[in-house]
Amino acid sequence: MNRAMGNLLDIGRIAFIVLLICAANLLAGCFGSKTYPNTLGKNLHVHTVTDSGSWFSRVRAAIDIHRVGRDCALDYEGTVQLADSKIDIGIPPHRWSYLVFVFGSSSFLANRSGTITYETLLKARPNYHYDVAVHYRDDMYHVGIRETLPNQSTGREIEPLELSSCRSSVSRK
Amino acid sequence: MNRYHVFIMFLSVLALSGCVSHPQTAEEFRKAVPGAFSAKVETIEVDRPFSQVARTFQKMGPNCLSKTIKTTSQTNMSYQVIVTTYKPTVVVTGKKAELHVQMHHEQGVLNVSKEPEGGYYLLVADAQPVTQTKTRIDLYRPSMGHGVLIQAVKNWATGENIGCPDLTK
Repeated sequence: MNRAMGNLLDIGRIAFIVLLICAANLLAGCFGSKTYPNTLGKNLHVHTVTDSGSWFSRVRAAIDIHRVGRDCALDYEGTVQLADSKIDIGIPPHRWSYLVFVFGSSSFLANRSGTITYETLLKARPNYHYDVAVHYRDDMYHVGIRETLPNQSTGREIEPLELSSCRSSVSRK
Repeated sequence: MNRYHVFIMFLSVLALSGCVSHPQTAEEFRKAVPGAFSAKVETIEVDRPFSQVARTFQKMGPNCLSKTIKTTSQTNMSYQVIVTTYKPTVVVTGKKAELHVQMHHEQGVLNVSKEPEGGYYLLVADAQPVTQTKTRIDLYRPSMGHGVLIQAVKNWATGENIGCPDLTK
């Protein structure tokens, strides 16, 4: 009798764990967020400063990285959470990437949240490095990208490039 | 954007419309603001050449304000999602730079009057040269709410602390 009860409890535990895994998968699918593999040579050096300006609210920053296809279609590759003040990321050179900087803010007292994004196309050049400054302070944000050659301190500021510019160049061809 | 903002927006719409109609062009908006309950005209003068102010408007306006924003707020009894699209327009002529900001609620807010194409006018900033090194900016803006947007436009004019406003605030 006791053994039968034990078996039933074991089955119940296994079913609970399976359900949890299914729920986690389902939620991951719903939110559509996955971690960027970040296995390539590190050429994107992201310096992040975030300050919500209040004890009762929080700001989180992240980068969604997309591969840009020949027809400008986006293929989501993953997200890097900018939880540390400096994070190195590898994006493939020679081809266009679409970077979406996401600032998510939430207020505990008002119980509300919102996200705002800053997007740009970027074609990383081989051997070049890209210093990215990501700032959020006093409800203002700024993203600046500077391209430099290794061992050189100076570089050039990269202006944001909209996805529509890719689409218009494709339609011209 | 929380309920307070929605309420302010509702009041703005009522006040600007006089409960009849909402400004359909930037020029109508300029004329309506001085007599409106929840909007005002503010004039500032900055120590910056007009050409620089105009260039900043041209750069930052589209970069920062062409956005669709989603905010959610919830209590024990309700869950609200508001989706808002902002549309900036920058018009620069030899002696004047104009920044128009419109907003259109895609979801979560009922419109009470006819909406112009591109959305309700939220803010208009007119920059004009005073001297070679000074520029005057007339801001036609809400008097309640949208403080982050207003501050950002002022920063673009002065050239200090230039950044994009978090339009979810």
